[in-house]
Amino acid sequence: MTPSSVATPPAPEANASGWSRESGQAPPESSAGATLRRAKLGDALLGWACRLSAALIALMLISLIVVLVHSAWPAIRQFGPGFLVSSEWRANEIERPVRDAAGKLILRDGETVMETLPPAFGALPVIWGTAVSSAIALLIAVPISLSAAIFLVRVAPKLKIAGAASFLIEFLAAVPSLAFGVWALFVLAPIFQTYVGPFLYRIFEPIPGLRWMFYESVTVAGRTIERPIPLTGRDLFTGSLILAIMILPIVTSVSRDVLRAVPRTQIEGTLALGATWWQSCIAMLRYGRSGLMGAIMLGLARAAGETMAVTMVIGNNNQISPSPFAPAQTMASVLANEFGEASEGLHRAALLYVALILLTMSLIFNVIARRLVIGRLASVSH
Amino acid sequence: MTGSFAEFRRRTFSSIMFGLCAGGAALIISILLLVIGYLVWIGVSSLSWEFLTAVPTGDVANPGGMRHAIDGTIILVALASLVGVPIGVLAGIYLSEYPTEYAVTGPLRFIADVLTGVPSIVVGILGYELFVVPVSRWTQSTISYSGYAGAAALAFIMIPIVARTTEEMLRLVPKNYREGSLALGATRAQTIFRVVLPGAFGGVATGIMLAMGRIAGETAPLLFTALGSRLLTHNPAEPFPSLTLQIYTYATGPYPEQKRLAWAGILVLLAMLFVVNLSIRLIAARHARTRVGA
Repeated sequence: MTPSSVATPPAPEANASGWSRESGQAPPESSAGATLRRAKLGDALLGWACRLSAALIALMLISLIVVLVHSAWPAIRQFGPGFLVSSEWRANEIERPVRDAAGKLILRDGETVMETLPPAFGALPVIWGTAVSSAIALLIAVPISLSAAIFLVRVAPKLKIAGAASFLIEFLAAVPSLAFGVWALFVLAPIFQTYVGPFLYRIFEPIPGLRWMFYESVTVAGRTIERPIPLTGRDLFTGSLILAIMILPIVTSVSRDVLRAVPRTQIEGTLALGATWWQSCIAMLRYGRSGLMGAIMLGLARAAGETMAVTMVIGNNNQISPSPFAPAQTMASVLANEFGEASEGLHRAALLYVALILLTMSLIFNVIARRLVIGRLASVSH
Repeated sequence: MTGSFAEFRRRTFSSIMFGLCAGGAALIISILLLVIGYLVWIGVSSLSWEFLTAVPTGDVANPGGMRHAIDGTIILVALASLVGVPIGVLAGIYLSEYPTEYAVTGPLRFIADVLTGVPSIVVGILGYELFVVPVSRWTQSTISYSGYAGAAALAFIMIPIVARTTEEMLRLVPKNYREGSLALGATRAQTIFRVVLPGAFGGVATGIMLAMGRIAGETAPLLFTALGSRLLTHNPAEPFPSLTLQIYTYATGPYPEQKRLAWAGILVLLAMLFVVNLSIRLIAARHARTRVGA
């Protein structure tokens, strides 16, 4: 018997009379009573520490929303919901020559007539950039991550490489986005510019339906012309690819933890019933679905809000283009690029409006991802 | 043998999926080796003793070192962990061990999930609005960027991650351990500290480690809070340097000598993360062994 560090069970008659509220007891039991009181105090302290910490989490979200809405209020009042569908983004007012219907400059007294455009802000280009780059990244990363997680749990232990492989992937999860950003900027982007971009161009450009991937329509001097998009390597495609690489390890390592927690009997049970290796893997995936949902959710959250690496390679152009080879901008990258330089006023409020949308979008992504994953895994079971 | 073709198809499909799973693992490992190998290769050739001990000179041809930034990152992570780890673990315990209380556990877990999804740049902007702007107004000075604001932003990122991973790991501890402990007369606190937490120590430590690694490498939350500095300072009330901010400044700047320092900085950052990663892994493994032996 170990010395009693836990409270000694009280005598039956004390128990029947409600021992837990008893303060004074017979001398032989007084030390047990003190232990009990101390234990109850410890319980209460721990309980309240936990409650306060949990309440702080709620407070964090509330303060996030309140502060962002409050600071973005000038922009919200001025642009309203139209902010979401407007694609103009001018931080400063600009002057430009007025053109007539035929696109000719209007001259008066030998001078071109100028018009002044006020600053205007619309979030559609950055919403587009964020949504498309995150979607491409998830499409690439999730299948690879789940298959690697299954390998790490089901196969690697037999080959005695589970520890090493897990360590490598965990370490990759810990590599900061800045490192990926520097790597992407100095290594990936030049490779895409020199080799991958031209290669894809040679393959896909002749296909009639895919012209939009390599040409953009621009209005020059009142006329709309079609011109090839310069393949710089700093575009939506490179940004999506580095995003995919960056969310691989986090999705893999969390999925692996979840799958490893599936009881052995579950796997052995399916195998005993005649399931193939893959069918037993599906049973594992079903068993761990809530955790796997968390894993994918983490990956999506990281992709949608990823800032530094994307800022360095996505090209930072506030325009919508259907082509994956055009420079783009995400909500996070526009914040990183412009918030520091935004002077007081509408520009800063508009950026805070973008931040608010980014926050809302990440919330919606979380909910959708949750629904989708539960739905898909449930349908696998039938 | 009516089912033989279906059986063949079933087995073949399984083999194909097996191959794909192995391929997925191999792909991730090779990407890792490619990225890390390149960073280390260039980084080592740029690293010098001066890098670790000198501070910036202001001369672009001979830019000095990053001692100030290394100190800055260590102090920022320590400050953030001091706040973030206890709160995160306690909140995780609440989510896992008090599941029926007031029916708030579900919504709280949802909020924690949402918070882990909050983009780090948004956290940086919140830090600016919540700590930098009011302090500037209060002291009536110019914009008061500070290390405290940076550490607060990092703690904001850390807390929900630690809470959720702690909860997930505590949930993996079988329910009958808790019931056994409670049935022997242990209180709730004793059950949590002596049965549940030790049973999940490895997982909880991994979660904390991942969170610390993540905030050590964060740049975006510090852009508008700590701001960065070229001076060696240990006073978090001032604009504060960090390795990541300094690397970002140098990597996107125009000077080749500073770009070399950025490569070396990333190597130092990776080495710091590697050491933390490895040591906590060893602690967790030793802890697991002693638990089994006890």
